[in-house]
Amino acid sequence: MEVTVLVQATDKAFEILEKARNEARELLYSSAKLTSETKSLAERRQARAFLSGAQQSKLALRNFTIAFFVLFAFWILLSARFDYFHLTLGIICSMLVAYMSHDLLFSNIRLGDVRIKARRFFAAAPWFLGQIFSANLHVAYLALSPKMPVDPQIIRFKTKLESDISWVALANSITLTPGTITVDIREGEFFVHALDRKVAYELSTGQMEDKIAHVLMEADHVYIQDVLDVSRIFGALK
Amino acid sequence: MTRVTDDIIIRAVARILIPFIQLYALYVIMHGHHSPGGGFQGGVIMGASFILYLLTHGLEEAKTRMSEIRAGVFSSFGLLVYSGIGLLCLILGSNYLDYGKLSTVLKVIPAQARSLGILGVEIGVGIAVMAVMFSIFFDISTGGILPEDEEDLGARDG
Repeated sequence: MEVTVLVQATDKAFEILEKARNEARELLYSSAKLTSETKSLAERRQARAFLSGAQQSKLALRNFTIAFFVLFAFWILLSARFDYFHLTLGIICSMLVAYMSHDLLFSNIRLGDVRIKARRFFAAAPWFLGQIFSANLHVAYLALSPKMPVDPQIIRFKTKLESDISWVALANSITLTPGTITVDIREGEFFVHALDRKVAYELSTGQMEDKIAHVLMEADHVYIQDVLDVSRIFGALK
Repeated sequence: MTRVTDDIIIRAVARILIPFIQLYALYVIMHGHHSPGGGFQGGVIMGASFILYLLTHGLEEAKTRMSEIRAGVFSSFGLLVYSGIGLLCLILGSNYLDYGKLSTVLKVIPAQARSLGILGVEIGVGIAVMAVMFSIFFDISTGGILPEDEEDLGARDG
């Protein structure tokens, strides 16, 4: 009698566990599907914008306007004269440059909410600064220790980022971190010079890549940060 | 002949920096009459931005922004602005490039007319220098062979 009850209880427990696991997996899959769906939606919208001429000119006008304001802010920063004469000159010059090169400033841009990007950037900035700080200490240790235990090596890895801007962002943040320098990018393959084994190992974990993918909204795969977000939601639900 | 760079970092960074370089060039030109800088320096920076575009994006794409013909027109136009302001002073009855007399045309006091006159001359110099800088680089990078000459050469070789 007790044995059957025990077996039934364990069966029940396993069932509950299985159910919870399925639910968790479904939640993860649905989040992945959601990101891919939003991406395909955005791409379809972008394609439509490029197809119809009116939309295209609207896009050009929007790019022109944003470029004008960015350049005018840069002008104010440079000039710092607030009389009407110089402000008018600034407006004319910013319009001229925006007309000449607004397509340069905004070519190949991905649709995505700029505010989300800005918020994610400011959220990720302390992590990058901390990374640079700790790498500084490590390089100082390497340089100051009498044995100088450097082990220079060039490592190569294929990135999963897609747009050229995120490649450049990743390359520059690798270069900005002391101890590592991006030598070259060839068709999505990074060649990075690392000062010793520890630095190379930290790079190969791909954490920086994930952070940049998160900031620049490259939602092709489920990145570590996304899984962490989902797990927090899952914990709240539980 | 210049080769298109295949370095993605240089291309992307140049693409974003070029508008700011151009605005800085205009800033140097416009503030030349009361701070360091002026028409020549600003024009060189402006020309450098087009040269940077040519180096990173190749000759064909650079031609869509600044062709050889357009560079020639701009260099003549800059010289016209410069000499036109000078001659206007001469016509109004003072020395060549003596901007004080422009006050009668611009309806401002002579001191301000001098300031505005110098600004106009700086703009002319800037345009001319920008176009000539680009034109020189264009000639060097094509080896002095114009596109129509190239077609002729191709026909002869083929």
